[in-house]
Amino acid sequence: MFTTRRGLLVGAAALAAAGCTETPAKIIESDDDLAAALRTARALAQAAESLGYTDVAGDHLAHIATLERLLLPDAIPEDDAGPTVTDAAALAEAESEGSAEARESCLTTTSAYAVLLGEIAASREAHAAVLA
Amino acid sequence: MTAVDTGLAGEYAAIYAYGSAAVHLSGAARDLAEALEAEHRDRRDALLDFYGAHGLESTPAPASYDIDPIEDAESAQALLLDIEMRLTTAWRAGVASEDHSEREICLNMLLESSKAVARWRVAVGESFADPWPGRPE
Repeated sequence: MFTTRRGLLVGAAALAAAGCTETPAKIIESDDDLAAALRTARALAQAAESLGYTDVAGDHLAHIATLERLLLPDAIPEDDAGPTVTDAAALAEAESEGSAEARESCLTTTSAYAVLLGEIAASREAHAAVLA
Repeated sequence: MTAVDTGLAGEYAAIYAYGSAAVHLSGAARDLAEALEAEHRDRRDALLDFYGAHGLESTPAPASYDIDPIEDAESAQALLLDIEMRLTTAWRAGVASEDHSEREICLNMLLESSKAVARWRVAVGESFADPWPGRPE
């Protein structure tokens, strides 16, 4: 019935919601790597949008949507603080730093989300390469 | 066949494709093709070093490949963009490896190939944005 980890977890959440178990519904346990990726994605989306790079911001919004789905109901609150970027070079640097963060998470994570973190690192790296 | 084997085969194919297609390009596109061909040769060498360092045996490059005739600059660019996208997908698959060294080299190659795809997309007038590089559609 639940042939994937996600299917199993979603199924467990549905059973909990139906009163079949006393375990609170939870998609996944808190994950520091995903939480860090989410914080950085929010900051980069804000920075890209402020400079008019809507395509780049769109990539970060896609990352945010996925990460928030995975972290629910443990999604971290939004903070307003993001990197101060005033031009493409500064955004490229922020993208490169964000890529390095996701790369490190990809290499060290013990979760099943290595590929997701690798994709995010690659997307940010491509942004940095073109914007630089 | 491991993910690294698949990726190395892709790098061999990319080097062949650049060698066949670059002559149809000029200007900035030619410069980009030559730069990326050099990067693929560097990546091939890094991969062969990886095989050597881990006591693994690599497969040599085929003598030639069966590719469609390249008629003009447009078809040359389309071929090279397609090659880069396929390589990105190959390297992305390797990131799932449980072996740390294999995951690391596949991730490094994924980052490089995603940059190459973005550069080609800019060259052909497409948006370089892609939230999930290498993810099959």
